[in-house]
Amino acid sequence: MKAAHRNRLKLAVRLAAATLITLLFLFPIYWLFMISFKTPDEIFSYPPKWWPAQLQFSSYAVLFRDGDATTVLNSLIVAGTSTVLAMFIGTLCAYSIARFRTGGDNLANWIISQRMVPPIAVVFPIFLLYVWLGLVDTFPGLILLYTAFNLPYVIWMMRGYILDIPIALEEAALVDGYTRWQMLWKVVFPMSRAGLFATAIFTFVFAWNEFLFALVLTRTEVTTYTVQVTHYFGGQSNFWSKISAMSVLGTLPIFIIVGFMQRYLVRGFSLGAVKG
Amino acid sequence: MTASQADLVLRAGARPGGGRHDRRFKYALVAPSIFVLLLIGVFPLVYLLVVSFQNITMTDMDKTFQGLLNYRLLVQDTRMWEALLHTVIFTAVALPIELLLGLAMAQLFIDRLPGRQVFIALLVLPVVVSPIVAGATWSLMFNTRFGPINQIIGWFAGEEVNILWTINPSLVYPAILAAEIWQWTPFMFLLLLAALSGVDKSQLEAAAIDGAGYWRSFFKLVLPAIWPVMAVAILIRGLDLFRLFDIVWALTKGGPGTMTETISIFAYVKGFQQFETSYTAAVALMIIVLLTVVVLLALKRVQLAR
Amino acid sequence: MSDLKITALHKYYGEVHAVKGVDLEIPAGEFTVLVGQSGCGKSTLLRTIAGLETADAGTIEIGGEVVNDHAPRDRDIAMVFQNYALYPYMKVYENIAFGLRARRTPRAEIDAKVRKAAQMLAIDHLLERYPRQLSGGQLQRVAIGRAVVRNARLYLFDEPLSNLDAQLRDEMRGEIKRLHQDLGKTMIYVTHDQIEAMTMADRIVLLREGRIEQQGAPLDLYERPATRYVAGFLGSPTMNFIDASLERGNDALNVRLCDGTSLALPMARTAKLAGREGQRVVLGVRPEHMSRALAGDTRSGLVRYEARIDLVQPTGARTYATFRMGDTEAVAELLAHDVSQPGERIGLAIDMNRVILIDPGSDAVIG
Repeated sequence: MKAAHRNRLKLAVRLAAATLITLLFLFPIYWLFMISFKTPDEIFSYPPKWWPAQLQFSSYAVLFRDGDATTVLNSLIVAGTSTVLAMFIGTLCAYSIARFRTGGDNLANWIISQRMVPPIAVVFPIFLLYVWLGLVDTFPGLILLYTAFNLPYVIWMMRGYILDIPIALEEAALVDGYTRWQMLWKVVFPMSRAGLFATAIFTFVFAWNEFLFALVLTRTEVTTYTVQVTHYFGGQSNFWSKISAMSVLGTLPIFIIVGFMQRYLVRGFSLGAVKG
Repeated sequence: MTASQADLVLRAGARPGGGRHDRRFKYALVAPSIFVLLLIGVFPLVYLLVVSFQNITMTDMDKTFQGLLNYRLLVQDTRMWEALLHTVIFTAVALPIELLLGLAMAQLFIDRLPGRQVFIALLVLPVVVSPIVAGATWSLMFNTRFGPINQIIGWFAGEEVNILWTINPSLVYPAILAAEIWQWTPFMFLLLLAALSGVDKSQLEAAAIDGAGYWRSFFKLVLPAIWPVMAVAILIRGLDLFRLFDIVWALTKGGPGTMTETISIFAYVKGFQQFETSYTAAVALMIIVLLTVVVLLALKRVQLAR
Repeated sequence: MSDLKITALHKYYGEVHAVKGVDLEIPAGEFTVLVGQSGCGKSTLLRTIAGLETADAGTIEIGGEVVNDHAPRDRDIAMVFQNYALYPYMKVYENIAFGLRARRTPRAEIDAKVRKAAQMLAIDHLLERYPRQLSGGQLQRVAIGRAVVRNARLYLFDEPLSNLDAQLRDEMRGEIKRLHQDLGKTMIYVTHDQIEAMTMADRIVLLREGRIEQQGAPLDLYERPATRYVAGFLGSPTMNFIDASLERGNDALNVRLCDGTSLALPMARTAKLAGREGQRVVLGVRPEHMSRALAGDTRSGLVRYEARIDLVQPTGARTYATFRMGDTEAVAELLAHDVSQPGERIGLAIDMNRVILIDPGSDAVIG
């Protein structure tokens, strides 16, 4: 009885600690979201109000009225298109590396090392190149860079997922009369569906959340939501409602997506080091 | 290697490139990716190299060969060294804290707990927030008058406080680090939790029966078991911290003065605000070389490829 | 006409020489079993025939055409894989139809063929299920069905039964053999299981370290092995090998064991051994060629050996008795009640008509 009692107490303590930690980590997000539903008066009241008297959508209305909200659409176009492109060519490359060891360890290592190059070192010469090519502040320019930036990740992750496919499934298709190219579509892609899905979402989130490339390579035409958020920074704090509303517009879709892909998170974050 | 080992290798997925058709096929598949990667992986490198030996600035399009001019300037540039130092400080402080905090949280959640999955799902949210939004969020949190942090400190102090988190030189580092640690500790937590759940329970039980205490079995059994994952996590986070930009940009833009300027911000300012093109090229090249050395050393130790 | 002809085939994996010059010709309609220990190159050989591996030297002809440079799909083959290789995201029907779809077969024809194959394999009630809903035996039937619907020239089986439990394996063995009789197609079957090889094959090709050790009809190999390896590989329990020497007895040739016992060879067998008197040999005796000696048994070629039984293993119909013979442990397969206790001393009758003699230097069977 005593041991059972002690165990229950221990569980209660752990539960309390877990709750406290979780609240601590969620509080900034709560604050960000909450500000966007406040009236300006509430935002600038002292002492600060811990929740709005009632949900106000005026901050969002302003963003939609001024067209600022379309930057989310720009993010969608850029992140979506670059994800599709990177997934497609990256998965083909991953297949070749996984099954044929194309390029050996050198190619695989070179590709993963590309993932680790700091963005600032890449974006600077790319910017100069884009100025020359007229690609600054265009969708193709940003999409190309995000595609390239995400490629190493896609290749690396998909290589892992493809290695998990029993090779006999592919051989059976080859014997049964399919060409290798057909076999990719009939066997490899369907078999790695979960991996494709998980990798695509990670790729999408990277591009969606990216800031530095977008800051450097966009002006007015293809501003993404991350850049738009920084447009409201300024010594004056009167843009708070916009900062928070814009941030929420960009963050909420990610939260929803991540909610659906819990079981892929570990593998995705760890570059496949944890199978999860 | 014996023939049966060859069979094993074969079944593990290594398909030696077979006939002529296969050979053409395998290179066709990698071609588009290699092309794109060369475009942004090798072109910039070559371009940086060329430009860094010229002397292009906002006012001067001097394309003549200047030798090591920019590299000499680089070595003498105290602002660059300071930026590098700031970056190292951020990395050296944030990384261990994130690691230990994440490990402690993983220990807390490793055993059965009501609502465990919900807790984990919620705890992961900071990681997927855009770093620039995370920075913005914390600038709201740290606001001198209307932010909740000063407010809460005020409760404990019993009086109104006006701490200038992003301006006061002695507080700006803790402020940035708080935001950084808030965003990425859950990353460590998630990975270490996965690693811990992979530890063989029967080993721990055997150790307990043999009389090993908690710490002893942690250092002798748990730590070696989770080390591979931990090493990957440290590598990924270390490289991320080295390129730290967004959170600092949102909170201080490198200020006050250049107090919190990281190497990324320094390069950005030089290249895109002061337009010292050639000099920035030298800086970027130096960053790449530095990182490549670190990555190559790290990759040798970390078995990312399994 | 032969459906498959292999000439001087070599295959390397890096440093490993997996197939070392195999010549093989398989007549149309024959059921051939490639058998050997793991790593003997049998799977590699099959995969090279299928085109899943490329030959490093030598030629492969299927139906009279050299196919070395043909992709697997152009070789007119169908294959059943060890782990079934069924597509988890396709229903059974689609799995079976998969190969037909590749060849743009008309829909109605596909349907007819799939249903006919399913009926043949008694899986017609499973067509709308997914592989994960099936048992191991059912999965294997589907995998076979997928090969059978294809009207291929050559059917290849890569250890298809190794994942099944013993009872299912017996059942499927019969099933595959019946399938071969019904279809009359050329089939090549790889296994490491000598019982599968014996029961199913028209012809066994026994591989060892990348070479063909011996090939022929199952009973030929069993009764007339060419080498000690073949003799030891086939049969269960395995053949007993006892070191001995040949010596001239009073009127016949004797096999003399190191414990001093002399076993007389029948006259019919002495001719081949002429000139080998005094040489060392290895005596090979199958367990079933030893029996409890009966008083008054006058069949020729039986010699008596006094044995002290060390271990008794009844299996039901038969009892395996282990005893010391010469300098080794030997096993005799006796009738159920021939021996009851370890320690018992009994007289065994060895059928010297059926023993083999091996040259210990070359391991070749000499008589």
